[in-house]
Amino acid sequence: MSAPHTTASGVVLRTSGPLAALLRMSAVASNTVREAGRAKLFYGLLGAAILLLAFSIVLSDLALVDQKARLVQSFGLAVIPLVCVATATLMGGLLLHQELDRKTLYAILPKPIARSEFLIGKFVGMAALLGIELGVLVLCWWGVLHLRGGTLTGALVRAFGLAYVELLVVTAVALVFSALSRPVLAGVLTLGVVVVGRTNYVLADLLAATKGVFVEVPAMRSLGKLLVAVVPDLSTFAVADPVLQGWVVPWAYCVSAALYGAAWVAACVVAAALLFERRDFT
Amino acid sequence: MRGYPARRRCVISQAIGESAQTIVAVHQLAKTFRVGFWARPVAALRQVTFEMRRGESLGYLGPNGSGKTTSIKCMLGLIAPSAGQVALFGRPPSDPLARARVGFLAESPYFYDYLTPNEVLDYVAKLYGIDGPTRRKRSRALLGQVGLDHAAHRPLRGFSKGMLQRVGIAQSLIADPELLVWDEPLSGLDPVGRNEVRELMGELRRQGKSLFFSSHVLSDIESLCDAVCILDQGVAVAQGKLTDLLRADALESVAHLGLPDDGGAALLALQAVPLSHWEPLADGQRVVLPTAQVAELCRVAVQAGATLRELNPRRDSLEQLFLRKAVTRRQDSVGSPA
Ligand SMILES: Nc1ncnc2c1ncn2[C@@H]1O[C@H](COP(=O)(O)OP(=O)(O)OP(=O)(O)O)[C@@H](O)[C@H]1O
Ligand SMILES: [Mg+2]
Repeated sequence: MSAPHTTASGVVLRTSGPLAALLRMSAVASNTVREAGRAKLFYGLLGAAILLLAFSIVLSDLALVDQKARLVQSFGLAVIPLVCVATATLMGGLLLHQELDRKTLYAILPKPIARSEFLIGKFVGMAALLGIELGVLVLCWWGVLHLRGGTLTGALVRAFGLAYVELLVVTAVALVFSALSRPVLAGVLTLGVVVVGRTNYVLADLLAATKGVFVEVPAMRSLGKLLVAVVPDLSTFAVADPVLQGWVVPWAYCVSAALYGAAWVAACVVAAALLFERRDFT
Repeated sequence: MRGYPARRRCVISQAIGESAQTIVAVHQLAKTFRVGFWARPVAALRQVTFEMRRGESLGYLGPNGSGKTTSIKCMLGLIAPSAGQVALFGRPPSDPLARARVGFLAESPYFYDYLTPNEVLDYVAKLYGIDGPTRRKRSRALLGQVGLDHAAHRPLRGFSKGMLQRVGIAQSLIADPELLVWDEPLSGLDPVGRNEVRELMGELRRQGKSLFFSSHVLSDIESLCDAVCILDQGVAVAQGKLTDLLRADALESVAHLGLPDDGGAALLALQAVPLSHWEPLADGQRVVLPTAQVAELCRVAVQAGATLRELNPRRDSLEQLFLRKAVTRRQDSVGSPA
């Protein structure tokens, strides 16, 4: 512990040491959650998802009796992660940008907080927000599932756990792009990473094939190899289809997927912090 | 400051922040922005050098676009300078420990508009590691001090510019900083508000705080500062104690002479001195002359039997000083473009 600093009129400031850093980061994180909690965009996305889930009740009425629960299951596994990824893409880029655009940073960065702490706080806040969103949606969906005679199995919970890891990776990627460029561009680039990342295995297959542009055109081949190398393989976390077919994701898979995700998150947060460190706030 | 000639003070020692009394040292600061697609260079700061002592109240003066805000951002580490250094309490602005002792108010401040003033102060106080009870106590006291207690629980979204300015002032004071860096604290306020902030600044000075603030309202600077730094087109053209600067640049003096009974002869004798202006008074003569001629005037006056009742350097107004500094520099730079 480092010594606190007492000012002339007796106010005690604790600015050094890991505990103080933690307090600062949690202040930024909780403000991020609060900010999103008062943003219309967040409620729009949440509302849309809940509507879709409600719609799945109607939809399941069309299905055969023994297929009702299954339909709700597959619907939830597809829609919930998708909506959350949209939130991560949109808000991940926007939240940092708003701080720059509205110059709220002028009130924060001159305080005794490191820029990297600010960025980590933002990331943790976003992660918490996405956790809340995912949790709310899964709860709603569980209700619908129950209504249709299905049960929440451990395999389904693990699938959502992996979806959460994917959200963290997408948020970290969005953070890098928004530390780098304008919000629209950041959003587009993040979306690109999501699309390429989710279909990474397709690209890998194409590269391994014996024919096709990715094999015959050298430039495309290099591009394909580059994309496979620099874009996180988000298909690792998308286990909806096999889970629906009865595959119980083994714990070993979950752990290795989580580690893979954590490595990407760490790399992206470090990159974002480095970019942020050099930036002029004019 | 005492005992130093004004001009000498502009020379900063290479070892920045060497003296315990120097709390801000800015040395040869320059900043070039790159704008547009072709990254065209725009020099916002060219040569800014000044120092600030503990307990001083320094006015940062300059016309629009002279680089005040840019240099203040460099002082707080929001912008990295292209050249030169800044030291706050002998440390670089990137050091959080240095920033912890500074309270900053941005030009037209803006905060999270979904927060109430209370929440803003609480958030900011957490960044200084202030504990919960102290946070609440100080927030309440500061909001009272800036006259916002009635709006303490309203989100900032509906606040007027002046109200936001007050929130900005309150948050800059939350950690009881030794140095306040305020960018145009008096802009956006109504006359009552201006007066309140002026009084607050006086109070802070009495508490021994050092005040650094920018303005282009010269009368505010004249009434609130003991020192000024004048910036023009990104160059610090003058720095020093206000009284010294105004006097050092006093090129003329005003004398009040009492004449003997046969005033005509004395007046005739006085013609020998090159006076720039004279005017008769009820009890003598008021003359204006180049300061260099004061000795001559005294000699002649004594010989002619006149009495010297009063002799003062003709004090420039800050406005005249400012205009002269700016205009001279611009004329110089026309002669030798940088
Ligand atoms: N981000 C930026 N990009 C390009 N030029 C900039 C940028 N910020 C400031 N400038 C330029 O730098 C110069 C100084 O601007 P600055 O805002 O520091 O002036 P100022 O003295 O604060 O003016 P004012 O009295 O109007 O507040 C101006 O010419 C401005 O156009
Ligand atoms: Mg300005």
